[in-house]
Amino acid sequence: MDSSAEVVALVGVGILLTALYLQSESFVDPLIRAIALQSLLLGVLLGWLAWTEHSVDLAILAALAVAVRVLFIPYVLRRQIRAFRWRVRELHAAHRVTGHALAAVVLAIVAWFVFQETLASIFPEPGAALPFILLVEGLLMLATRSNTIVQVIGYLEEENAVVYAGALFAQAFPLFVEVVVFLDVLGVVLVGVILSIQRDVIGTPEESALEELAG
Amino acid sequence: MIAIDPSVWLFLLLVAPSAAAILSLVPNARVSEGVARAGSLIAFAASVAVLVVNASGVWGPYLGLDSLSDVFLFMVTGVYAASIWYSRGYLRSVSRPFLTPQVYYGLLSAFAFAMIFVLVVTDLGLMWIGVEATTVASALLIVLERKPASVEAAWRYTLIASAGLTIALFALLLLYTATGTLDGVRLAASPPAVTLPIEMAVALALVGYGTKVGLFPMHTWLPDAHSEAPSPVSAMFSGVLLPTALYAFLRVYRILPTPVPALVSNLVLAFGVVTALVAAFLLQRQRSFKRLLAYSSMEVMGLAVIGIALGGVALYGALILLVAHAFAKSAAFYCAGNVLRTTRTTRIDEVRDLRTSLPWTGAAWIGSAAAVTGAPPFGTFLGELLIVVGALAAGLVWVAGVVVVAVLVAFLGVNSQIGRMVFGEAVPGSSAVPREPDSGYALAYVNLAVAVAIGVATLPYLSEALRAAAVFLGGALP
Repeated sequence: MDSSAEVVALVGVGILLTALYLQSESFVDPLIRAIALQSLLLGVLLGWLAWTEHSVDLAILAALAVAVRVLFIPYVLRRQIRAFRWRVRELHAAHRVTGHALAAVVLAIVAWFVFQETLASIFPEPGAALPFILLVEGLLMLATRSNTIVQVIGYLEEENAVVYAGALFAQAFPLFVEVVVFLDVLGVVLVGVILSIQRDVIGTPEESALEELAG
Repeated sequence: MIAIDPSVWLFLLLVAPSAAAILSLVPNARVSEGVARAGSLIAFAASVAVLVVNASGVWGPYLGLDSLSDVFLFMVTGVYAASIWYSRGYLRSVSRPFLTPQVYYGLLSAFAFAMIFVLVVTDLGLMWIGVEATTVASALLIVLERKPASVEAAWRYTLIASAGLTIALFALLLLYTATGTLDGVRLAASPPAVTLPIEMAVALALVGYGTKVGLFPMHTWLPDAHSEAPSPVSAMFSGVLLPTALYAFLRVYRILPTPVPALVSNLVLAFGVVTALVAAFLLQRQRSFKRLLAYSSMEVMGLAVIGIALGGVALYGALILLVAHAFAKSAAFYCAGNVLRTTRTTRIDEVRDLRTSLPWTGAAWIGSAAAVTGAPPFGTFLGELLIVVGALAAGLVWVAGVVVVAVLVAFLGVNSQIGRMVFGEAVPGSSAVPREPDSGYALAYVNLAVAVAIGVATLPYLSEALRAAAVFLGGALP
């Protein structure tokens, strides 16, 4: 394995570990930090690939990952936490995280086998299954969590999976940068607009705490 | 007679709603409404022109029209125009709107533009961007009435639809890696060899776009968003957004050779069957008439997907069903809007005797309930009948049985509930007799007339385009 492939594999394992960690945490602030770390690792990977392959598109994707998913969205989410302390932890999450973590590991293994059986023939690169696993983990998070901020984190993980996949094996994908910009715009709409509307319309923590306060 | 190049109509289809979206933001609300109305009418006129000249061809690397897009353009612009014209009275009835009329009209036109964009681009990647843009443009429209439930619905809609579309994007990445192109025209003209990655891409596209179509089990955003959105927006969601997402899937599905490999067609069939059955039974227990209509839309999408999976004459039926349903369901939502404006409730058991209080709306609602559930002479009946015939022709008696059961259960559920609201005895204590709210019901009658005309095949250009679209997709004509 050459040094470039080693870097890609090493960072890929880091991304996978953050994905598994995300499933096993019930406090929201560490989750925000973890998704920022995952996005940073992805940004490093994209930056490395941009450097080694002299790709402007990948450099733009790396900058976007850092600007939007490492800095901006986590900043807005953490402000939400500071403003509404009741959002700091998920309802009933404490006793569910063990199940989530176990499900995440099982799902990662199943996703890896499915990838090997169906897609490995056209994606022979080492670590090509990792974006697929990341996508499935993001879906698991969206499906099993009820806290709105945690759901945003699930969405960001899915976006990371798509960018990761595009960078690894579909760099010539037309309009890929534009597509990622679009996904980021949607992420910003999610956290910047709807979360703030939720605060304005639903109102006080007492009202909203109906579902999220306990735990 | 001067022959106008179809590219002119294509240009108008794109420019009219996008210009309306921008110009609607002028400070004056009446001017904003006028701009939106003009934009919607120009777009609709252009789509009619596209049908009349049977426009087809490719313009540049990314734009193109064919019989399938022509039919869908007529449907989208028709419901867009009707919803814009219906909106004036509805907006007046909203006490503390979250959006100004200018922003509302701007977003509604942007929403329509995104759908038109999906229909006129040939590149599957751009098509995906268009479908995603419909989410961005429409999410805020759901919260117009500033209710906690509507914010929650907008949240679920944005999140679930986007998660689904991320899967669709993954499908496109696979497709591109396997074929080296996302040019829909090129892929359809020379389909790639069927390999496991290609089948996987189509399956993922089914799940991804299926989320936006409202297929079970990814449908959970649908009843919330449809029931919480203002009625003109619900009409666009149910009538044309779901078919537009299905159109995006059809474009991916079409790259497979006919007959479609059994693995994929069986998967599509399974999603259609389960969706139609689940929706038909779920709508029985609805207490809100808007949720009732939302589940009815889900059932119709399930039936349409069954028709697509079966191919042949059932595919033709699915196309007829989608177009007739778009007009019928928008009519139903305009009636629902009138009822909501006057009674201030969406609960079925709190609304009775509409034949006395809202006679015009009540009559239109009875008609639209029959239309959306496939009663003759509406086009939905013809579409559903052809799907059953297609299933029998394919030797799949059990599928025909499922379709009949789903249609009957949905028919009884929707018509009995709406029948009680229209003909039931007045609720004790409700002394005030509401007044028919302006002439908003007139649009319901217009749309119902279109649904009937589709059923009796009297819209010449549309009928021809529907037949051409079915053949284009590899279907058969009766």
